[in-house]
Amino acid sequence: MIPLSHYLIVAAILFSIAVAGIFINRKNLIVLLMCIELMLLAVNLNFIAFSWYLHDLAGQVFVFFILTVAAAEAAIGLAILVVLFRNRRSINVIDLDDMKG
Amino acid sequence: MSYLQFVFYFFSALTILSALGMITVKNPVHAVLFLVFAFFNSAALWITLRAEFLGIVLVLVYVGAVMVLFLFVVMMLDINIAKLREGFVRFLPLGVIVALAMVVELGLILGAKYFQLAGHPQNQSMLPNTEALGNVLYTQYVYPFEIAAVVLLVAIIAAIALTLRRRPDSKYTKPEQQIAIERNQRVRIVKMSAEGKSK
Amino acid sequence: MNDFLFFLLTVGKILLVVVPLLLVVAYFTFAERKVIGYIQVRIGPNRVGPRGWLQPIADAVKLMFKEVIIPAHANRFLFLMAPVLALAPALAAWAVVPFNDGWMLANINAGLLYLLAMTSLGVYGIILAGWASNSKYALLGALRSAAQLVAYEIAMGFALVGVLMASGSLNLGDIVRAQSGTVFNWYWLPLFPMFMVYLISGVAETNRAPFDVAEGESEIVAGFHVEYSGMAFAIFFLAEYANMVLISALSAVLFFGGWLSPFDPVGVRVPVIGPFLGDGIQWFLFKTAVFMFLFLWFRATFPRYRYDQIMRLGWKVLIPVTIVWIFVEGLLLALNIGPWFTRGL
Repeated sequence: MIPLSHYLIVAAILFSIAVAGIFINRKNLIVLLMCIELMLLAVNLNFIAFSWYLHDLAGQVFVFFILTVAAAEAAIGLAILVVLFRNRRSINVIDLDDMKG
Repeated sequence: MSYLQFVFYFFSALTILSALGMITVKNPVHAVLFLVFAFFNSAALWITLRAEFLGIVLVLVYVGAVMVLFLFVVMMLDINIAKLREGFVRFLPLGVIVALAMVVELGLILGAKYFQLAGHPQNQSMLPNTEALGNVLYTQYVYPFEIAAVVLLVAIIAAIALTLRRRPDSKYTKPEQQIAIERNQRVRIVKMSAEGKSK
Repeated sequence: MNDFLFFLLTVGKILLVVVPLLLVVAYFTFAERKVIGYIQVRIGPNRVGPRGWLQPIADAVKLMFKEVIIPAHANRFLFLMAPVLALAPALAAWAVVPFNDGWMLANINAGLLYLLAMTSLGVYGIILAGWASNSKYALLGALRSAAQLVAYEIAMGFALVGVLMASGSLNLGDIVRAQSGTVFNWYWLPLFPMFMVYLISGVAETNRAPFDVAEGESEIVAGFHVEYSGMAFAIFFLAEYANMVLISALSAVLFFGGWLSPFDPVGVRVPVIGPFLGDGIQWFLFKTAVFMFLFLWFRATFPRYRYDQIMRLGWKVLIPVTIVWIFVEGLLLALNIGPWFTRGL
């Protein structure tokens, strides 16, 4: 049988990979968005693992809501990205310095 | 190794490998495809935890819709990849160190005895997962459920409002105007007497 | 050892489904050319073998021996991967289709969801083919097709929600069993708007005429598969036809009672042909064949829609119709109004 900690460690590795991805792809807005999706995936895996091992459906319900919110986030994030690209011809994070004081 | 263990290690290895691929490949289209693959494999992992509804929904919503959106955007934007890769090598050591530190710390915590719940719980309800989830979702969590629906509605409207633009310079036809045309706006019938036999 | 036997048995069952399916697909192309030929008062293919019966085999052999040309600067791996990604979901979806009472590869609870998930994956093959070809026409065709598939998937999903509300189950076998009774208990009548929406969006999902702007040979030559040739093209072809067979089979299962017989229970008492008039796989096959014929009939009859018309139909007509009918159905179920929706909640 697979102990709970195995699932949690897989999720931890996924989360760390996503963090590393944010570090090394810090210029590319699309990859940053995708790294956030990966983090949410890792969190969801944790929730589902706990839900199964602790006999509680609340974890799965929470994953359901995370999926909903993450889908909304992705849609709006991409819409902002498209508008940004239209105005700037670039999605480089460095170019987004209009708000600099 | 039991069959379940094999499935678990197989799919977790694939998930982690494709996540690694996602953050390291050059082309954003390939990164999206790696992420799709990661989602697919973690859906399989969720199914090993008997969360078949969420596993299938992950494939349906994420792989089938959200990632298609990503792919769409990545393909349509004409991005200078080389420029976006600047600093990749410079920040690589830092990224690896932070990630390794996180993995080691989390591994130490999660390896401790408090997280060693093993084996399959005995008194899991016998309802199919979808039905069990529906039972709590529409009773206990009905208000959060409605709010989630509102969040989605807001997201739809926001995404459309953000990207909609009228382009006065582009030419297009208005079908309703074309259909609403009447005969006498296009054709003028002129009555005239036949030629030849003038009075 | 037991596991191994189970594995062999499963592989055998999969072959038992997939091999006849591919044969059906091959002869479906032949049927298409013949049927459209007769509709247009022609004879259709009639040279290869007796009455042209070997035509699909000749076509297959021809395609196998042609060269697969990979365009310059195309992404080689994705270019070859795309046809496989188009075909795989069309075949994988058959795992939950019930051929007869209890005859299905995987009797899973969430069968309908699984189907939706699999049909939503078909779009990847098309997008990747368009992108990897490194060609403008291919990319345009892929974008058209992706937008169309995503739009019609919503309508199709809502139509399936109607089915699941009426039957109270996501398992396709249970859905068929819930339709037992007379012909008027099959869901085509109680869910008539849903059935129409499902059929129309099924045609759109498979990118078939009159919704075939993704190929649109007169505007963008052949859409996403312009650059494909040989076996790679043949696999796209297979995927398209396999999808049509799948949609037909699903229409039969979800709205026309799958393996149920329309003559039940009177038909069984007829001497000699009685067993054929009872429930059984022959009815499933017959109903599927009727829907497959409809696909060909549509293609021969309707002119192609314009792209904006397709989008308008999907978003402004089909989706509102399904939402309204889901609401009506919910009311009927909640208030226990007969003659169909008396299952209660």
